[in-house]
Amino acid sequence: MKRMNRRDFLKRSLGTLAGVALGTGLDLPEAFAQRRPVKQGPIKIGGQAILSGPLGGYGNFMKMGAQLAVEEINTKGGIAGSQTEIEFRDEELKPDVAVKNARYFVDNWGADFLIGCDASSVGLAVGQVMPELNKVLIITHAATEKINEDLVYKKGIKQVFRISVPVYQDGIAAAIIAKDFPVKRWAAISPDYEYGYTTWKMFRETLKKFRPDVEFIAEAWAKFGTVDFGPHIGAVMPKEPEGIFTTEWGGEAITLIKQAKLFGVFDKAKAWMNPMGAAMDVLEGLGAEYPLGLWISCRYWFLYPDTRENRAFVQRFQKRWNRYPHYVSETGYSAVYAIKTAVEKAGTLETSEVIKALEGLSLDTPAGKRVFRREDHQAIYEVPWGQTAEDKKYPFRILRPLKVIPANDYYRQPPFA
Amino acid sequence: MVETLIFQGLIGLSLAMYIWLVAAGLTLVFGVLGVLNFAHGSLYMLGAYLTETCTALLGGNFWLGLLLATIIVAVLGVGLECFFFRPMYRLPLAYQLLMTFAFVLIFDDLVKMVWGPVYRVPPTPKGLEGSLSILGRAFPVYNVFIIGLGPLVALLLWLILEKTSWGKMIRASASSREMASAIGINIKMLFTTVFAFGAWLAALGGGLSIPIRAVSPGMGTFIIIEAFVVVVIGGLGSLKGAFIGAVLIGLLEAYGTLFLPVFEMFFIFFLMAVVLIVQPGGLFGTQVSHEEA
Amino acid sequence: MKRREGSILNIILILLLLVGLALLPQVASRFSIYLTIQILLLSLLAMGFNLLFGYTGLLSFGHAAFYAIGAYAAGLILKEATPSLLLAVLVGTAVAALFSLVIGFFCVRHTKIYFSMLTLAFGMMVYSLIWKWRDVTGGDDGLIGIPRGTLSIPGLLQVNLHSMESYYYFVLIVCLLSTLFLHRLVHSSFGLILQGIRENAERVAFTGISVQHYRLLAFIISGAFAGLAGTLLPPLENTLAPAVAHWTKSAEPVLVSLLGGAQTFAGPIIGSILFLVIKESIVRHTEYWLIWFGAILLVLVLGFRGGIVGFLYENVLTRLRR
Repeated sequence: MKRMNRRDFLKRSLGTLAGVALGTGLDLPEAFAQRRPVKQGPIKIGGQAILSGPLGGYGNFMKMGAQLAVEEINTKGGIAGSQTEIEFRDEELKPDVAVKNARYFVDNWGADFLIGCDASSVGLAVGQVMPELNKVLIITHAATEKINEDLVYKKGIKQVFRISVPVYQDGIAAAIIAKDFPVKRWAAISPDYEYGYTTWKMFRETLKKFRPDVEFIAEAWAKFGTVDFGPHIGAVMPKEPEGIFTTEWGGEAITLIKQAKLFGVFDKAKAWMNPMGAAMDVLEGLGAEYPLGLWISCRYWFLYPDTRENRAFVQRFQKRWNRYPHYVSETGYSAVYAIKTAVEKAGTLETSEVIKALEGLSLDTPAGKRVFRREDHQAIYEVPWGQTAEDKKYPFRILRPLKVIPANDYYRQPPFA
Repeated sequence: MVETLIFQGLIGLSLAMYIWLVAAGLTLVFGVLGVLNFAHGSLYMLGAYLTETCTALLGGNFWLGLLLATIIVAVLGVGLECFFFRPMYRLPLAYQLLMTFAFVLIFDDLVKMVWGPVYRVPPTPKGLEGSLSILGRAFPVYNVFIIGLGPLVALLLWLILEKTSWGKMIRASASSREMASAIGINIKMLFTTVFAFGAWLAALGGGLSIPIRAVSPGMGTFIIIEAFVVVVIGGLGSLKGAFIGAVLIGLLEAYGTLFLPVFEMFFIFFLMAVVLIVQPGGLFGTQVSHEEA
Repeated sequence: MKRREGSILNIILILLLLVGLALLPQVASRFSIYLTIQILLLSLLAMGFNLLFGYTGLLSFGHAAFYAIGAYAAGLILKEATPSLLLAVLVGTAVAALFSLVIGFFCVRHTKIYFSMLTLAFGMMVYSLIWKWRDVTGGDDGLIGIPRGTLSIPGLLQVNLHSMESYYYFVLIVCLLSTLFLHRLVHSSFGLILQGIRENAERVAFTGISVQHYRLLAFIISGAFAGLAGTLLPPLENTLAPAVAHWTKSAEPVLVSLLGGAQTFAGPIIGSILFLVIKESIVRHTEYWLIWFGAILLVLVLGFRGGIVGFLYENVLTRLRR
């Protein structure tokens, strides 16, 4: 073993201490860093996300988060004594490209872990080849329930974990919030693909259970890449809905809000729900144009939870990147720390051991305490819903008041019928 | 119900005028230069980004910003035509498509490098904010403006083509390049100016879109296919055809969405296929017999 | 005399290539094998496409439709019916050929840009249907968990294709047989008539040959090979999503044929290798891969207008012979 010089030793020990102090999920003996590293050479993490085209921002934000985590970890002595390396590739929202990326990372680049995946189809396709590649994949965005319910739980693909919320947040939690609204007539303007259909179905089924009196009177589906929502607004509004549910995201969420405003939708409808509306790109992209009082959420929102850890994370992120963290920044960041914690707990990079370490793992992250559910490898944590409100401190809308539903109250439970 | 139908028709018309602004330049360039410019959508995108930036630089005056931005894109068009398109005219169609495709890729990343991957918050032009009441429903003032502007641009194009000597040269060259050259028209100059004018129209469409659409890298890909369809349905190279085609597609999308919640691009491509099978040259294109087509 | 030297050189090159391909799994990593399979699939798709484009003079902008139809048919058979790879490949190809017949019937009456636009329209219709027919295709989430299947002929053969290496050999054999077939085809009288149609359809028609029948036949064969390439995809990826039918996929065979040289038989193959290798090398080094890829494309289009293969033949080989 190479002898460690004093500076390195000091850096590592101090780093570990700092890690404990910051509560980044490190509850290991301080002496750990001096033990033999789990790997000769750096631990490699292969990341992929959408980096080009209209949704390219998502990949960039995710990269920022993951990179920040890697930099922090490396200055504090690395993962179990090994330095960490991360590389990113563009998934292009295409499953075949994503599978190629995953294969490249594992078979050619020598990745020990994979993180990322934005599109549902991409998450499913990469998840599907993980048994063959036999490395741990931590999904940071793709939200389809098929990943935890079908791939992990039913098919037993144990290599796949997800650190971000599944569509339960978008559909079921939304309905639990909406049950208290004085709204009986609901309509949907949503994306014309699985994500749109699934969330609307979950929303309807859950809401109907709580409120047998509600009606779902209209729906308009907008293709991927819609630039004019006029036809959809025009088709839905004459039915006089009192509440509108939408899962448009990214630029399309911005376009929809701008146009809905001009068509007077917010003057007529009493409620507007968008589970992706609190994403940083939408908040910043609309600025003060975002109407007030809309109900929105996302997969992590930078002012929640109001804890020391989260505030410190936002501060570090701002210092490093000169912007507020997007939800994919947080999931990317936490995914790297989940890897660190699991490897140090397992004491090895052996995939089966790391899986064991991750299953049931409880992790303190900026988004709060996350627990990886054993059965389906889904991280359980809380993300708030809230209403758009004005705050002089920020050039965009914030969420106020917040409404937080305990994750276990609305996450579907195994066995998934 | 009648109100809904009329209202939806208005929505369809505003949609149509947006498509028309993009399709006009596309079909004009094809008619004269014989090039199907895939990068037309990229020029649209550049128009949008530059309008936002120029407006900010000019102290928030949207119209001045739009004017400056479209002129910049037109100048860029001159450069593109002289250095890249000119050597391609004698080559088969596929090469031209490939080259314009390369430009789509290049511009998408360039925009990301210059403006970053985030969505921009563009200005709303003064006087066109808010909505007015039509049939008891709110209708965006901006859409009224677009519905008015579309035919105005069409009229302008018609006047240029019919009444100016430049227009006469364009028409002569569109019907026969050899003939035009023979009667002393400077073809090179004509091609450059037409391409620049097409680029200007694309940038105009892009710049005008920013008050109501998100501005992002790759935004051109969302509109270019629809514009293609419109140009083909109307007849390649026919401005009248592109206008009518845009109205057809705009109304089809508006009413399709009204009656079929799962309305799909399928119908648009179906319409395109039917038109091509029945009338290969498009609705207003030069008539081509089946053997020629 | 010179021709013979050229053909001897050809034979040596081809033999070297074959030996290299056969020995590849012994020396290459699993990823390189995977990438090679992708190159083989794209080559097959592009060779099928180029029968129509380079040889018949018809530029199809909708060949991803046939690729996707082959892929979805094979994927559905493997996933829902029987894990017999051979059956999936055969039926998938047949279904793609059938669609080529129907779509081709409408398309071959047109030429030039009108043909291209009509194939684009049909291609996007297929794309929309795959996207929308969720009960069968799984919508945009796609078909998930498609098994690779086994290669079995009852009583004769039973090969497990679970490993990447064995699947590679299967794909390689299918592609070599297809290449051989297409090579014979374009050098047969049928191929000559197609080229005659490309050069001057009227003159061919004058000899009493039905131009449209020949075009349709070329369309069907072309679509069938695109479909065949498609059937080999789902066992490789284990998943299948609508992106394989999108027009951007249709652009790939166009691109690689032009890169390699559409007027040469080997053009699409060389183009496919270039395309995938160049892209792979770029994405390894930069996140801004679009701009680099676009710039290289631009240089290639402006610099090698006859394609790389044509360029090599004209410049390198002629010099070698001197």
